[in-house]
Amino acid sequence: MDANFVALLRSHLKYAGDLPITGDSGLRDLGLDSLRSIELLFAVEDAYGVVIPDESLNDATFETADTLWAVIEKMSAPVPGTET
Amino acid sequence: MTPVAAAARAGTAEPARHQPSVTELVAASVPAGCDARALWRALGHAGVARSLLTDSAESLGIDPGRLSELLTALDARLAPGPVLSVCVQVATVLPLLETCAATSPLAAGVLREMLRGEAMVALAATDAGLSGSALLDLRTRAEIDADGVTLDGGKEWITNAGQSDHLLVLARCRPARHFTSFCWVLVPARHPGVSFRPAAGALLPGAGLGHLRLDGVRLGREHVIGRPGRALAELARQLGAERLAGALWARALCRRVLADTQRQLLARSTGTATLWDNAAVRDRFARCVVQLCQLDALCELSTTRAITPAYGMVLKSTCATTTDQILAECLNLRGAAAYDDDGLSRTREQFAMFGIAGGVTGAMLAGIADHADELLDALG
Repeated sequence: MDANFVALLRSHLKYAGDLPITGDSGLRDLGLDSLRSIELLFAVEDAYGVVIPDESLNDATFETADTLWAVIEKMSAPVPGTET
Repeated sequence: MTPVAAAARAGTAEPARHQPSVTELVAASVPAGCDARALWRALGHAGVARSLLTDSAESLGIDPGRLSELLTALDARLAPGPVLSVCVQVATVLPLLETCAATSPLAAGVLREMLRGEAMVALAATDAGLSGSALLDLRTRAEIDADGVTLDGGKEWITNAGQSDHLLVLARCRPARHFTSFCWVLVPARHPGVSFRPAAGALLPGAGLGHLRLDGVRLGREHVIGRPGRALAELARQLGAERLAGALWARALCRRVLADTQRQLLARSTGTATLWDNAAVRDRFARCVVQLCQLDALCELSTTRAITPAYGMVLKSTCATTTDQILAECLNLRGAAAYDDDGLSRTREQFAMFGIAGGVTGAMLAGIADHADELLDALG
């Protein structure tokens, strides 16, 4: 997880405060309600220039910091053969 | 701009010396006292509906200046029912369909019909027997299989339900209580299994308000429109435009009612002077003007910034309380005349919807408290 992602997450987690956010931090426990989840979805897509694919758009993706980051990383990775 | 929106608007690209304003178009095309369908047809033929769509993500797909002009012009000419019918379609349905049109030829086709004024679409989100703010608990189900989709459930207090050609139905397609568990289904309003019951009473004639039953409504897979799992997110984002439309309409209404009230106060004699000369009356009227100016400032601010869900709740609660307080005060200032048939007392009753439809004020305030940190940070 990069620092920007952690900062972005923190701004959507109402109970995070100054608590450390680690990969296995449960997002719901830290205050990610449904409205904030929706805002986080659009914020992540805007910040990383990705579109979370239909098959990953489910509750499991928004379970922990790691599960969400894994989808972002996967979508941000260059498609083989297109690297410059 | 999506290709569909571009194509839909291409027909109006003729060079013209004078680009008519929305106000001029409404004055020239909308017959006085027309019903919702004739109104939508007139707005489509005049190009008003398509002129509202914009590429700006910040303005949620709708040009706020033109939206304000439209609602002000309609408020001045028509009863609230047909205006509500248009308001929901332009602020919510059109942008949602445009989003879905990117991946759905069916949505693209219906969008084109809407923009031409040939089709009306009702947004069917609120479930029967469920609070409008409890969308995560929605029970209307869309069972999607390889061949199509089957809808079962009920929707209530749906604007345009009784006068639309299509229903844009928010339905659960996965069991998890999560925002990704919902999809849009575009349903022909007269399809087998769809039934409509008008809402009791006739508080907002012309709005097509009523309740829908969806019993084993079987449709092809193409009727599931948009990207699966995004329906609730898209609706939540579009609520900002709906909140803004409500506030812009409230601003037009309050300004009109205050101007009418001032005229009446100036004309009503107290023997040696007029009611307008009474210091207490002037004080009460001035307080209303201050409230309207506050609403106006919020409207102007809202047309230049992104309307987050939390900010949308501020907009909606302000709109509801301002409208109620101004109409109540004007009712008192006008006295018995306000109780004529179709007088101000009825207007106040009708516009109580600003504090109910789309989320009651109490729920808005609870949401604002929940997002207080975000709202206060934004002011810092």
